[in-house]
Amino acid sequence: MTSPAAELRGITKRFGAVVACDNVDLALQRGEIHGILGENGAGKSTLMKVLIGLVLPDAGAIRIDGEQRRIRDPAEAAELGIGMVHQHFSLVEPLTVWENVILGERTRLDAAAARRRVGEISERYGLAIDPDERISDLSAGLRQRVEIIKCLRRDPAIVILDEPTSVLTPGESEQLFEVLRLVVERENKAVALVSHKLDEVLAATDRITIMRAGAVVDRRETGDADAPGLARAMVGRPVSLRSAGAALGHIEGLEDGVAASEPEAGNGPEATGPPPVLSIRDARARGRDRRTLLDGLSLDVRPGEIVGVAGVEGNGQAALSDLLSSLLPLEGGTVRVRDERPLPGRPGAMAAAGVAVVPADRHESGCVLDMTVAENLTLVSPPRARTGRALLDSAGRAILDRTGRRAHAERLIEQFGIQTPGADAPMWSLSGGNQQRVVLARELSGDPAVLVAAQPTRGLDVGAIEYVSERLREAAADGVAVLLISTELEEVLDLADRIVVIFRGRIVGEMDRADLDVERLGLLMSGAQEAAAS
Amino acid sequence: MAGDFFFAVGDVLSSETTYSSGWRLAVALGFVAVGEWIAERAGTINISVEGAMLAGAFAAAMGYDASGSVAVGLLIGAAAGLLVGAVQAHFSHNLTANQFVVGLTLNILVLGLASFLNSSLKPETATAHVFEVPGLVEIPLLGPALFGQPWPLYLLYPLVPLAWWLVYRTRWGLEVRAVGENPQAADVSSIDVNARRRQAVYIAGITSGLGGGYLLLGQVGWFEDAIVGGQGFIAIAAVIFGGWTLRGAMLGCLLFGSANSFRLSLPAVGHPLNSELLSSLPFVLTICVMALFAHRTREPQSLARPFIRGLR
Repeated sequence: MTSPAAELRGITKRFGAVVACDNVDLALQRGEIHGILGENGAGKSTLMKVLIGLVLPDAGAIRIDGEQRRIRDPAEAAELGIGMVHQHFSLVEPLTVWENVILGERTRLDAAAARRRVGEISERYGLAIDPDERISDLSAGLRQRVEIIKCLRRDPAIVILDEPTSVLTPGESEQLFEVLRLVVERENKAVALVSHKLDEVLAATDRITIMRAGAVVDRRETGDADAPGLARAMVGRPVSLRSAGAALGHIEGLEDGVAASEPEAGNGPEATGPPPVLSIRDARARGRDRRTLLDGLSLDVRPGEIVGVAGVEGNGQAALSDLLSSLLPLEGGTVRVRDERPLPGRPGAMAAAGVAVVPADRHESGCVLDMTVAENLTLVSPPRARTGRALLDSAGRAILDRTGRRAHAERLIEQFGIQTPGADAPMWSLSGGNQQRVVLARELSGDPAVLVAAQPTRGLDVGAIEYVSERLREAAADGVAVLLISTELEEVLDLADRIVVIFRGRIVGEMDRADLDVERLGLLMSGAQEAAAS
Repeated sequence: MAGDFFFAVGDVLSSETTYSSGWRLAVALGFVAVGEWIAERAGTINISVEGAMLAGAFAAAMGYDASGSVAVGLLIGAAAGLLVGAVQAHFSHNLTANQFVVGLTLNILVLGLASFLNSSLKPETATAHVFEVPGLVEIPLLGPALFGQPWPLYLLYPLVPLAWWLVYRTRWGLEVRAVGENPQAADVSSIDVNARRRQAVYIAGITSGLGGGYLLLGQVGWFEDAIVGGQGFIAIAAVIFGGWTLRGAMLGCLLFGSANSFRLSLPAVGHPLNSELLSSLPFVLTICVMALFAHRTREPQSLARPFIRGLR
């Protein structure tokens, strides 16, 4: 047997006290798609970054075609025939397709040759693209096409893909896997597919390595693997596939689960249900760069129901969340919360009307990492926000009531089971799951009428995901109108009573959980319905 | 009163000297703006161009004093600008210090140093001779402004297309644009982000130093502490006004330069407007323009954000 295209032996990498990779062995064979499966934070990405030269390992060796090599930066990796399709940070939006594709090469700039090269690659792999298009004008699926072309332009022997489907519709994902199959079968390349989604690893790979907490816990041939076994290996304990579905991206069999589970009593909206507490009508907004963010979005959420907003990332989810966080003014349309019409974009208006938000980016807008847990819990005490006199508390005082706030914080820590050394511990010392509990606790403690949860489980482990999901269900059961905005389709399917699909800044379709049709959902998400209608 | 004013405006607009002086002032800004444009495309708001310009002016004075040659003076001026740029670049893109704090400090430092050295060394200077481009200078009204000027002014004419070519037609320029927009993407594409940013700031230093030298040897003729007097900042405003395009930035220089010359020529044609008040005109214009355009244009996405590898 010939030596593997790439062989990693005993790779160890620590970041401070955290061991991201612990003595990991991995061999990538030519002509094979190798799935590297694991939860967020299992060390998959770090391992791949070692291979591409973005991270230097503390210990271990890399052999390329049997020869030991040191890879210190992506340029060295490229010379050894290793290419990576990055999911984030790798395309420069204002530049054109061809400019992006040749970025980082060392030869003289030759636009005509670059355009030709893009044309050749796109023809060879069936990845149609216009080389003169600007990246900022492209959809997520097309952007990834550019990523792949950029990776393949040097004809690498080893291709690494890091979570390639997180911004793709199901249809686009399938196309991607077809291209990968082509690359492997026709050109005998070695492909590493890093993913946390069971179903795609099962569908697209030949061999699977499963990682957990920085170590390899299992290796299988894909033919011998099954979903429950993989899920167990990934999580480290038996899990019900239904609840793991949200975390691990397993859709298969979910339809049965949905059909079997009756909506819990009082949880499903009646046809003649209560009037909506949150009602957005024809919302239109544009960004600073005049790009359309919301294009006539209308949406109702009734008390006690969870409405899931499904869609591919970048179709207005962030704008919708910003609108309900009072961050985005509207050019047209209205927002009504109960009987009030808070002015969109006016700081604090939505919170004062009773809208609580768990923002998508915990660290950027969900909490202040350098402040204590107690301070974060009481950062905005919602009753005060509702008085409309932002600098006074509910008793009309402008000076912080330290003992009162501390007692309040300790109650919440207890109530939400937040694992922290104490109320005065800095926020950054908490795990991601516990930080999210702090955010949830703060937002729910003000008895909101509406709870907006944007990507509430992103980057959390299975236990934390279960907790957050449970809290959202409880909030709905208590009569809160819950709006779940998530690009993880499985999460929406798992939690929502009613699913709406967002595409290019508007709601293009809606279905009740009872008559769920995953295929139609996928079509709606890709905008196919829109195209067919117009 | 208003009628008088408009008569005076009419006089100014029909006078060749207005165009000549407007063009001269615009060119001084243009030298700075052409380099600052490149620096900003790479992600630095390089406020030390003000200091680089002043350093360039003083060094040019010293160089001329020592050699008696305008060309040598300009060369030394450009070198002094490069020195200021190099300090700025090292601090903001090697040590990743806050670029504004570094720039501010440099501006104050250069002002103090130049003022001190000038009072003790007192360089003897003069202005470069006027070179009239045969034929072209005959063009009515604009000819003398564009082609009948002290020769260092003409250095800007090839510099502008050169800068354009550098940024839009070379690999270096492509990388500069990438680095200013998305340094992480540039990094994973194996581009040395901070090296490109430093190089762009060097260029801003050189052209600003040259601008300072031109100001001294092509325009004013002797060194004084206030010789630059905020023109570096106005050049930065011109880049912003121009929406980070070279054409726009040059247009901005022309606009701000004209406003400046207007204030100089109104009293000259005998209009008794308060000249202190008028001297604020370019700044007022800058603020108005910024208020109007600040939200319209698309700035480089990581402008003024330091890049540290490994951090998002």
